[in-house]
Amino acid sequence: MSQLALKSLSKSYGAFKVFDGLNLDAGSGEIVVIFGGSGTGKTILLRLIAGVEEPTAGTIELDGHDVSDIAPEHRNVGMAFQNFALFPHMSAAENIATPLKAQGKSADAVRAGIDRVAKLLKIDHVLGHAPRELSNGQKQRTALARALAAEPRILLLDDPLRNVDAKLRFEMRLELPRLLRQSGATVLYVTQDYKEAMALADRIAVLADGKFVQVATPEDIYLKPATLGVARLFGDPAINTAKTVIEMKNGMASAKVGGRDIPLPASLAAAAGRGITFGVRPEAVNILSPGSDGLTASVVAVTPLNERTVLLLQSPDGWEFLASLPASSTSIPEPETDVVVDFDPSGTHFFDSQSDERLHG
Amino acid sequence: MAELVLSKVDKIYRSRGKKSVHAVKAFDLTVKAGEIVALLGSSGCGKTSTLRMIAGFEDVTSGTITLGGREIHTLAPSARGVAMAFEAYSLYPPLTIGENIAFALKAAKLPVSEADAKVKDIARMLEISDILGKYPSSVSGGQQQRASLGRALVRSADLYLLDEPMGQLEPQLRAVLRGRIKHYLREHKCTTILVTHDQTEANALADRIAVMEDGMLQQYATPAELKARPANLFTGTFIGEPPMNIFDATPSIASGEVRFDLGNGNVLTYNVSELSDTVTALIAKMPQLVIGIRPHALHVAEGPIRATIMSCQWLGDQTHVAADVGGKTAVSVAHDRVDLSPGSDVSLSVSAADLHLFDPSTGHAIAHGSDMA
Repeated sequence: MSQLALKSLSKSYGAFKVFDGLNLDAGSGEIVVIFGGSGTGKTILLRLIAGVEEPTAGTIELDGHDVSDIAPEHRNVGMAFQNFALFPHMSAAENIATPLKAQGKSADAVRAGIDRVAKLLKIDHVLGHAPRELSNGQKQRTALARALAAEPRILLLDDPLRNVDAKLRFEMRLELPRLLRQSGATVLYVTQDYKEAMALADRIAVLADGKFVQVATPEDIYLKPATLGVARLFGDPAINTAKTVIEMKNGMASAKVGGRDIPLPASLAAAAGRGITFGVRPEAVNILSPGSDGLTASVVAVTPLNERTVLLLQSPDGWEFLASLPASSTSIPEPETDVVVDFDPSGTHFFDSQSDERLHG
Repeated sequence: MAELVLSKVDKIYRSRGKKSVHAVKAFDLTVKAGEIVALLGSSGCGKTSTLRMIAGFEDVTSGTITLGGREIHTLAPSARGVAMAFEAYSLYPPLTIGENIAFALKAAKLPVSEADAKVKDIARMLEISDILGKYPSSVSGGQQQRASLGRALVRSADLYLLDEPMGQLEPQLRAVLRGRIKHYLREHKCTTILVTHDQTEANALADRIAVMEDGMLQQYATPAELKARPANLFTGTFIGEPPMNIFDATPSIASGEVRFDLGNGNVLTYNVSELSDTVTALIAKMPQLVIGIRPHALHVAEGPIRATIMSCQWLGDQTHVAADVGGKTAVSVAHDRVDLSPGSDVSLSVSAADLHLFDPSTGHAIAHGSDMA
């Protein structure tokens, strides 16, 4: 049985629809990342589950029971926010204690609860400090500790790493899965960072235009994006795209990309004549040895990206696209030269040009 | 196109009743004509003060700045021949995006048809052709930033100063625009200084990067050199994402082997022939070392370091593995997909050519693996 279920959940403010008919089942202990740009309603969704706002329609179920009549403090939900939201006049320990005290725990139980999460989050040495004396990283850990202290069944994390620096965000990204698993809670984690989403999630729910466009494992989201929009949200650099048309040549489906025919999966033959958006991930653009059979493109610029090198390429018919290869690769060309490329089928995607929906497999 | 030379530039902010702040200290920098240089550092490192002194918004406390052989640090900002794009965009609100971009061209009395063509070209490059008729307040932050960049790049200037020019850009556009802008700067032989806290941007665009910290230049080198030969622990750990792994090590040399004891029974062992004689001699003098290993050089493979997997995260084009090594977290990154379950025991390896050795007392680099091969 799912521990948290959203059933046809909708929220509007007057005529403004935030989202409409959201469905989601999260299993016990599962980490579900709610991923979407700003203004997509991710935070509002968390507020509905926490009970601080009411849905316009639909239900939220915890352990199979509708929670609409359960007050927020009795939902057994812990929450942490991107702006930390610590009580400024309380020490870190007092902040962490608030949910425990709200549950009427004994002083000993409160102390034990604080110790447990403080150790887990490595903030035992700053428990006596006021929030203003804490670094952003420590504030964020304190906020997480407070959310975890009462051992909630459901943990709602609203972009908790947004306001910490890149280094700490990376460290926390490595550490969070273990912390969250140890808590045993079912986690809904909101972020706009696709790497964070892929790193932490058991499943990712992509929220766009008021709907879950795709709810799937990170693997499926990246390798089989349901729409062009999802494909463009995951990946750095973003997927290359080109508008083209499915053609039949000698009984085989193909499409012109960069002025050259590329073969299409046989399953697309039935849709001959249809307009499609061809997509290829930059890391699926292979640089072939000179003289090979492939698409010839000129190298406009070479831009290193961490341990990878990104090439801005242009085909003879003017299509601009990116290739991303390991910086250690021996086939990195110079700017203003020509290269021959082909596309690795595993990083190649086809979308209907009208609906933007995925067309194949 | 002109060469920029900063010579012993100091900036001290004095205000009554407060401690003075020495923001930039004896800063020397030469940017060759047509070169793209990034000033890279975290906030408070002095990079923005340096930029403002070059632009003329701040006086230099001492030292000189010359551009194309001309001393410019005493000139008014408008007389310096510098085009600038600001982090805060600073577009003129009553002018359309197109008028903003054309502003300096009009002031320079360029024929209207020529100015129009230039504005159109730059707008196409920056993907803002469709908003040229709109006002700044009605477009997104990313679009305003692109317009601000366009306004600077469209001008003809001796020097281009770009202050965090791409921070607000839409992620889906960023990589393509980096490529186009780099191409544009090269093609027009623009001498360019880019100020940023984002090493990704610096690496992507710059021919050379000046790493700043605490008002001082830490290292000035190409992106590849910064990676391969960091001058000290600061640049070693600052440059590179994820950051370099750092281990304290006790070196020893015996029976044809160089050994680095990392504690907890983890000992890196190399044949003396794998390291150059000079490096071996340097190591022999050091009772303690700090060893840096970049995540891409630390491989989950048969090797001397025992580790327990903490997390394994696939990000589409790479996998980040965190492993516990004697109570410390080490990070290994692979270009392909790796599946390792948390809690499993593995071993890690690193080749001699991928080691970076630092002096623990000064932080200075002693040797890099790339020298050893």
